[in-house]
Amino acid sequence: MKIAPPQVWRNKRFMYKLTASKCESCGHISFPYSSYCTKCGSKNVKKIEISGKGILESYTVSYQSRDGHEKGLPSVIGLVRLDEGVEIVAPIVDADLDKLKEGIKVEATLRRVYTDSYNGLIQYGIKFRVAE
Amino acid sequence: MTEVYINSSSMIPIDRYYEYDIYDLVIEAYKNFEGEYDVNNIDLIVVANAYSQKLNNASLIAPKIAEKIGKPNVPAIKVDNADASGGAALLTAYSMIKSGMVNSILIIGVEKQSDYPSKYLYDTIATNLDEYMYYNGISSHSVAALLMRQYMKKYNVDGNYFANWAIKMHKNATENPFAYLRFPVDLNTVTNSQIISDPVRLFDVGARADGAAIVLLSSNKTESSVKINRIVSAQARYEFSPSLPSVKMLRNKLGMRLTEKTGIDIHDSYSIMAALMLEESGVFESGKSLYNLDNVNVNLSGGLKARGHAGGATALYQLAEAHMQLIGSFKGKKANVDDYLVISSDDLGIVSYGISLSR
Repeated sequence: MKIAPPQVWRNKRFMYKLTASKCESCGHISFPYSSYCTKCGSKNVKKIEISGKGILESYTVSYQSRDGHEKGLPSVIGLVRLDEGVEIVAPIVDADLDKLKEGIKVEATLRRVYTDSYNGLIQYGIKFRVAE
Repeated sequence: MTEVYINSSSMIPIDRYYEYDIYDLVIEAYKNFEGEYDVNNIDLIVVANAYSQKLNNASLIAPKIAEKIGKPNVPAIKVDNADASGGAALLTAYSMIKSGMVNSILIIGVEKQSDYPSKYLYDTIATNLDEYMYYNGISSHSVAALLMRQYMKKYNVDGNYFANWAIKMHKNATENPFAYLRFPVDLNTVTNSQIISDPVRLFDVGARADGAAIVLLSSNKTESSVKINRIVSAQARYEFSPSLPSVKMLRNKLGMRLTEKTGIDIHDSYSIMAALMLEESGVFESGKSLYNLDNVNVNLSGGLKARGHAGGATALYQLAEAHMQLIGSFKGKKANVDDYLVISSDDLGIVSYGISLSR
């Protein structure tokens, strides 16, 4: 897998922070950010930064990796309801599978996503962990 | 008013064809086709394919395919809407004939997915997800797993419930000479199969491999014609309630009355998608669809689960099978049906096409 620095730079709005858009017409929050509301189509949206705090509504333990993401199996993928009301599907890290349960609080954390060993580049991203 | 018919159809068995490239797959399907039907008056070729650029290092495949099947001067276009490419191709072709622009179109569905290890294939499939999920390494399997878990909680069902789908599909596939996985499975095999993304197991996932299928669309009616009564499309993101709003929209737009003599073919990329599609399309009550599979003629070929998952070519298999069922030439499990409902979709049901067919 190869990392393209321009893509990393462009993707900083969802890889390094959780930038979303809130529709002024219907109230829907679109994540990642969209210039038009992904629910009602209005362009009357404002950019917001999501707090990164939320509740783990559900989760799955995945045993099959994608190319370039082999490390860290099995991986935990959560359905997270953020405090702002938006649901996202996100990786959960540092999870003790014996103690992980639905309904616990989670928070965003910056972590390595993958490494382009050929070019020596590292891609980071926002994942989630159980909140203390 | 111009009517649109499927006049003929052809397919190759879904399999891992290590000796064939993407063009060879089409040629094999076309050989069957050419031997039986007149294809000298085609105005346009529409190719349904999703992943050729990444999996086959091949772009501009539609005109290349036209050359390789001996139609170098017939205009050819590719239509891509991921695993719903076939539905999108049919909508395109149907609309062009309906408008009077052309009279006859060859729709070719092809996907070559077996050249790379599955982790590379599923990295490609994951490009269908939104950019946050894709760049963070999430797979479509995990999204399906979350939908399945939500369904299990809502309707208080377990893995045995979902196993009904795999058991039924494999049973159907044993009769289909074009199926990829032509063997029966029992409850024990399904519920103890490898966990992919809990609770999704190996037998909950459509089996991706190589395939090519072709239908000839025309405004001229022949003895082997099947009429396309209607095609509608809808798109809306899946919800973790769980639901598939796009399929619910299809049901309302299509307004098709389903009877015991209606054949149904759905995009069962995962067993959870089979359940949701059967329920959102109005075939069964929510939370109970997979208890009632003996009461309906659904996915008689074995579905994506066992006939095999041909990616963007899938709807062409669905349409070819529906055509063959309605004219009585299907070589697998047959049903006495008067009409057909085909639902073409991407793997997570964001975009859906509903097609009503009858003789």
